[in-house]
Amino acid sequence: MLTKRQNLVEVMKGGNPDRFVKQYEAFAMMMKTPITRIKPPIGGEIVNEWGVTVRWPKGQLGAFPVHDPEHIVIKDITKWRDVVKMPSVECSEESWAIAIKEAEAVDRNDQYVTVFVAPGIFEMTHYLMSMEEALMAYYEEPEAMHELIDYIVEFELKLAKEFIDHLHPDALFHHDDWGSQINSFISPEMFKEFFEPAYKKIYGYYKDNGVELIIHHSDSYAANLVPSMLEMGIDIWQGVMTTNKVPELIKQYGGKITFMGDIDSGVIDFPGWTREIIGENVERACKECGKLYFIPGASQGLNVSSFPGVYEATDEEIDRMTSFMF
Amino acid sequence: MSKIDEVKAKVEIGKSKLVPGLVQEAIDEGNSPEEILQAMVESMGVVGEKFSRGDIFVPEMLIAAKAMSKGVEVLKPLLAGDGSSKLGTCIIGTVEGDLHDIGKNLVSLMIESAGFDMVDLGVDVPAEKFVEAIKENSNVKIVACSGLLTSTMPAMREAVATIKASGLKGFKVIVGGAPVTPEFAAEIGADAFAPDAGPAAVKAKELAIA
Repeated sequence: MLTKRQNLVEVMKGGNPDRFVKQYEAFAMMMKTPITRIKPPIGGEIVNEWGVTVRWPKGQLGAFPVHDPEHIVIKDITKWRDVVKMPSVECSEESWAIAIKEAEAVDRNDQYVTVFVAPGIFEMTHYLMSMEEALMAYYEEPEAMHELIDYIVEFELKLAKEFIDHLHPDALFHHDDWGSQINSFISPEMFKEFFEPAYKKIYGYYKDNGVELIIHHSDSYAANLVPSMLEMGIDIWQGVMTTNKVPELIKQYGGKITFMGDIDSGVIDFPGWTREIIGENVERACKECGKLYFIPGASQGLNVSSFPGVYEATDEEIDRMTSFMF
Repeated sequence: MSKIDEVKAKVEIGKSKLVPGLVQEAIDEGNSPEEILQAMVESMGVVGEKFSRGDIFVPEMLIAAKAMSKGVEVLKPLLAGDGSSKLGTCIIGTVEGDLHDIGKNLVSLMIESAGFDMVDLGVDVPAEKFVEAIKENSNVKIVACSGLLTSTMPAMREAVATIKASGLKGFKVIVGGAPVTPEFAAEIGADAFAPDAGPAAVKAKELAIA
């Protein structure tokens, strides 16, 4: 039997996998680093590393930035330098001890040591200035937006160096939501101008420094951005929702990029979830997408679910499909 | 090209710095403020259709709406009547338990552009707050409930049920959002469903005029 890592490689290269990859099983996620982004506790609020107030109200599935006049960081994009300050990524060696120990304990023949970065360049722009203002600014103040993006890229490269120097990761799991369920937030042309160079630089740096795999999370529609994803060097697009018509994407791009998802979290991960609903959706995804260039999994990012038991049940249903299809 | 056609064209492509001047020129040319306003409303209708087709994206819709609002600022002092819109008031909010607002904000922009006065209740709106808002505002013609999460669909059901059970009359309820379907809208007793911002404005206008 192939190891989890070997099996994933077979899926990605169009070779001979011996089973479906079960969601994140091939990735040993390094989440306890001193530079992992901070999030508020459920029901709480924090001011994050960039000065953005982030709240996680009880009953919500995630945290949200606060953009009322009192809390918004960038009020005038032309004066962004006055208010946006890059957080330091320098931390004591002691603070890296837990993550280093975890990385060293991973059998790299079995799994990729995988570092995690969030929220991402696009999301950071609207964390700092609100979604509407950011989206209008791409038209109204493009130079300022380019400068802001370059600044955030500079930060991400510093972050990357710390991860690489301390953990020697094999893979990067990078979050940045680029669309709604039905379309990308910005046009492919605008995306190509503002974000393709940024990510090419970041992902290129990781790959030049030993990272083999770039997994990009965007639980959205983003089929129109796949050409840019290829240009950036993304190996796996995680979070690909059914609205993207994943089987068609696989036909068109399989061999150049692997798709991870096709099971929308909103359909399987809710308070009244059942094994039957999960089973139906896993079966459909596996049968329609096939064994190559595809990893079945919930669209939500990371190896967790919003409601207890869903992630594990999804894994079990993927095992069931392996027993039928392999 | 007439000045009104120029106004229409520039609103459609979001030239908010040019539109105020062009609106003034259209006024100086002898066009009534109401005609110019209607022209801008039509532009936003085109924008809504293009957005629904996927020909344009959120930034293009936002800058078009901003261009129109800049044009309306020039017209407002000149528009006849008591300042309230011909179409009435629309109350909009994202239902309880849901903090997503970008879709709701786009719908609000488009419905306002169509000629409504907007009362935006924000996000995470309890059912009773929709009812309170109907009572507190005059000439309410549309109540729009938005939701992005499958897990907050029960809250949308409750919002519509509470609004309908209130006994208040004279308005219609539209629902929308990513997990909302026409079948779900009908099941929960909403008067209409809209898949996104463009059709929402069209439907709101239809319901207000009917």
